[in-house]
Amino acid sequence: MRRVVISGYGSNTALGLDSDAVFAALMANHSGVVFMPEMDRYSGLNCRIGAPVTGFDAKSIPRQQRRSMGRMSIFAALAAREACARSAVQVERLASPRTGCIMGSTMGSATEMEAAFKTIIETGNLGEISSMQFFKCVSHTAAMNTAQFLGISGFVMSPAAACASAMQAIGLGFHLIRTGVLDMAFCGGAEEVNIMVCGSFDCLFAASTNFNGNPSASPRPFDAARDGVVCGEGAGVLVLESLESALSRNAPIFAEIAGYNSCGSGSNVSQSDTAAIGLCMRQALLDAKTEPGEVDYISAHATGTLQGDAAEAAAIQALLGARTPVSSLKGYFGHTLGASGAVELIAALQMMRDEMIIPTRNLERIAEDCGGIRHVQKTERCNIRCLVKNCFAFGGINAVLLCRRYER
Amino acid sequence: MNPEELKEKIKDVFVQYFELDREELKDEKQLFTDLGLDSLDIVDLIVGLQKEFKLDLRQYAGLREIRSFGDVCRVMEDLCRQNQR
Repeated sequence: MRRVVISGYGSNTALGLDSDAVFAALMANHSGVVFMPEMDRYSGLNCRIGAPVTGFDAKSIPRQQRRSMGRMSIFAALAAREACARSAVQVERLASPRTGCIMGSTMGSATEMEAAFKTIIETGNLGEISSMQFFKCVSHTAAMNTAQFLGISGFVMSPAAACASAMQAIGLGFHLIRTGVLDMAFCGGAEEVNIMVCGSFDCLFAASTNFNGNPSASPRPFDAARDGVVCGEGAGVLVLESLESALSRNAPIFAEIAGYNSCGSGSNVSQSDTAAIGLCMRQALLDAKTEPGEVDYISAHATGTLQGDAAEAAAIQALLGARTPVSSLKGYFGHTLGASGAVELIAALQMMRDEMIIPTRNLERIAEDCGGIRHVQKTERCNIRCLVKNCFAFGGINAVLLCRRYER
Repeated sequence: MNPEELKEKIKDVFVQYFELDREELKDEKQLFTDLGLDSLDIVDLIVGLQKEFKLDLRQYAGLREIRSFGDVCRVMEDLCRQNQR
C-alpha cells in the first residue's frame, strides 16, 4: 500500500481567516466565543453563545462561483484556496481524474434551508426562490462547491457524520490514495453556526448555558465546571497526496498519515461510549503499526460535555495511561462540528512543526471523572513525532487518525 | 410607474443579483457578452423581476427574445402595461 502525506492545509475559524492567523490566536490564548444576541429571538434556547467567523471577504470568490455557495461553502472554498496555495498544486493536477475532493458537514447548510422554507411557508410562492438555493442547501454543498471552485473532476464525495464528518473525509481520502485509486485529494469539512444545530445540543441539555455572561470562559473541556458544547463555525481542508506524487513535484510535506479507523457504537444515539472509543483508537494504532507508547500527543475531541469528556478521558486512560499529553482546542474556537476534525488536525500539525503543545483553554480544575490522563494546562515544549486526532459524533460514530512526522 | 422609474427598479434587480455597476446598465448592453451573465443568471433574473414587480414571468413567450438590457426594459414595460389593464 502506498504512503500518504499531507502536502497542504487551509482553515478558518472564529479566531482567524487562515491557518496562520488561527494558530497565532491559539498561541495567544484568544477565545473566539462571543455572546450572540440573535439567539435571543428563540424561546426554549438556553445557550446564547457561539463562535462565528467574522470579517471574511466572500467577494474574493468570483460571483459565478459564489452564487451557489452558502456561508459554509464560502468557508470551505476559502480554506481550499489556502490549502491549494500552500501545497503549490498546479492547475493541471487539479483537473486530473486522479485528484478528488472529499468534504463533509453535519447537514449541508441549515441556514440556506431555513431561508428556503421561510419563503415557502410564508408566501407559498416558489417563484421567489433562486435557482441557486438548492445548491446552497444540499448535504454535499461544501464538497460540490469546493470541487467546482478548484476545478476538481475526480472523486467528489461528502460524508455527513456530524462531528466526525471532516475526519471521515480525511480517512476516506487516505484510503483512496493508499490503495491507488487517487493520487491526491482535498479533504476536510465545513460548518456554520445555525439555530438548528445549536438547538439540537440545547434540547439534549448538552449545550453550555452557564456562561452567557462570560462567553470566553466556555467551553471548558475536561474541567470540573464544564457544562456543555459551544457551537463554532469555519472550515478546514488538507491536501492528501501519495508520497510519490508529492516527491515528484517537490511538494512540501507537513506530515504522513500512518493510520485511521472509524467505528460505530450501538449503545446510544447521543452519548459517547468509552469501550467503542477505546476500540477505535486501538484499531487506528494497529492500522499505523504503532505501539501506544509511541504516541507523543493526543488532540482530543473533548467538547465540554459532562458525559463525552469523561468517556474520552476514560478511553485514553485505559489505552495510554497518564503518559501521553492530551489537550482539546475547543475552548478557543468552540466546536466546529463538521469541520472540527480538519481544523483541529491542522493546528496539531502546526504544533508538530513548532515542537510544542497548545493547552486546553479553560481547563482550570481537572474534573474527577476526567482524571487519570496527562492534561496539558500550559503551553509546553514537545517533540511530536506521532500524534493522534480523535473525533466522536452523534450516533456513536468514532473516527481516529494517526499522523507521523515525515521521514524518508 | 413611468418608464424611467421602471428602468431604475430593473437596474436595482441587476445590481442586487449580479453585482453590476448601475453605469454599465445601458440599453444596448448584451446580457451574455457585455454584462457577463449566463443561463443560470437568466433564471435568477426572472426570479428577481418576479419578486420586484409581483408578476409571473414564466409564461411570457417574449422572454426567449431577450438579448440586451434594453430588451429586458421593453419586456417589463409591456408586461406592466398589460397587468394594469
